[in-house]
Amino acid sequence: MIQVILFNVTNGLIIGAFYVLMALGLSLILNLSNVINFSHGNFLALGGYLAFTLSPTLGYWGALLVAPLITALIGLAVERLMIRRVYNRDPVYSLLLTFGFAFVMQDAARFIWGPNGLPLGLPEFLSQPINPTLFFITWYRVFMVAVVIVAVLGLFAFLRYTRIGIRIRAGTLDLETVASLGVNISLLRTFNFALGCLLAGLSGVLAAGQIGLNPNMGDDLLMPSFIAIIVGGVGSLIGTLFGGLLIGVAAALTTVFFPAGSEAVIYAIMMIVLLVRPRGLMGEEGMMA
Amino acid sequence: MTPLEVSGLQTFYGKSHILHDVGLTVKEGEIVVLLGRNGAGKTTTLRSIMGLTPPREGNVRLFGTDATRMSPYRVAGLGVGYVPEGRKIFANLSVEDNLRVPAVRPGPWNTTRVFETFPRLAERRDNRGRQLSGGEQEMLSIARALLLNPKLLLLDEPSQGLAPLIVKEVFQIIKTMRQEGISILLVEQNVRVSLAVADRAYVLDDGAIIYSGSAAELAGDEERVRSMAGASAKEWVTSDI
Repeated sequence: MIQVILFNVTNGLIIGAFYVLMALGLSLILNLSNVINFSHGNFLALGGYLAFTLSPTLGYWGALLVAPLITALIGLAVERLMIRRVYNRDPVYSLLLTFGFAFVMQDAARFIWGPNGLPLGLPEFLSQPINPTLFFITWYRVFMVAVVIVAVLGLFAFLRYTRIGIRIRAGTLDLETVASLGVNISLLRTFNFALGCLLAGLSGVLAAGQIGLNPNMGDDLLMPSFIAIIVGGVGSLIGTLFGGLLIGVAAALTTVFFPAGSEAVIYAIMMIVLLVRPRGLMGEEGMMA
Repeated sequence: MTPLEVSGLQTFYGKSHILHDVGLTVKEGEIVVLLGRNGAGKTTTLRSIMGLTPPREGNVRLFGTDATRMSPYRVAGLGVGYVPEGRKIFANLSVEDNLRVPAVRPGPWNTTRVFETFPRLAERRDNRGRQLSGGEQEMLSIARALLLNPKLLLLDEPSQGLAPLIVKEVFQIIKTMRQEGISILLVEQNVRVSLAVADRAYVLDDGAIIYSGSAAELAGDEERVRSMAGASAKEWVTSDI
């Protein structure tokens, strides 16, 4: 029994780590630009597929680095060409725009890479279990969590210590004042969108190593990521971090004790948060408006 | 080069017509005050100049460049520092981080100099914006605008909600800025104090300029000052400023 619980908690943390990476990207974009990026799951898939295409030439490690960067560049182009045109409109416009684009991206992936699942090859040692007793923990799982931790710490350090990061945080609160201090907020938003896509691309490469590739691989991660943001509190990246881990573990533990509710549990958590603490666990008052 | 020339501004918020043919000038080295009651259009005038609420008609020239409907960051880039109403400091950021938001423009102002000028901010550099007192927030908002190394400073009601002693300090800073060669357009409700530091004054009423002339002359018109200052008139002390 202990092993079963341990197995599921580990699983939950790993799934939670994916939610966190996805949700942090979504959260960045939502906080600064008020855009709910419905195509975020497709940027995840794009990152995975790019890694698949690049790894024969660059190897796994090269693909792990380059695929997210290309995903970010594509995100940058998408923001410049489409998304920034609807910033001054009601958020419903950007929501519908990215919703439509999600389907375009999904079919594009199906067209380019085919409708069937594809595997992403991993370096041999990553597929080994750590030891026979903990047979369910492969090195790859440890590796994924390590990469997520490095990425999250890197993101927080970037936002905390660099001028651009500080401006992103300031813009989350009051973009107009940032502009009146001489900062080109149009470029700031473009960069920020690309940064969000970078995180999605990275989670895509990591997810591909675990569950393989298919055109709608991001779909299952998108809704929980939104929930992570709402549970953690809109406007708080730390909240998003805890929200993601919380719902990951909650879903995994529910699988042990009440399998039928494993899907519903995260939605139930969201409902409770909305009713009891509408601003989320760590959110600022009024950010949900 | 004249820092600011505004003519024929017509500005709207949605359908409501706020500014009617507003024109004003700030010459080099001047302190110009823009007075008027609540809702007269003072803030809207500054926002029109900054490009935050672009005017529908009219013209804004900054240092000889046509800046009408320019985006705010480019207006700032021409050398315009803006201290908004309510200070608008970033409450979630530390004092030090607030000072790293503005674009970097060459000039005498840098973080070291700002901390020398505002020692109170240096003491509180690690505090979050929301932990500062009103006076400290005002200092931070001014300091932040100075880091752009502006040649023209737009200040929107810097004395709002501050204790008289702090108001005095803020106006002292404004006078120092002028000695630094920064021209100043000051929006105020604090009639007496601002007329005491200003060279020229404009009075805005219902979105139109109804007085334009020397500050001293307006200050001498006791009846007019009293009517503009309203009930608060006696609270303000003009001596020692």
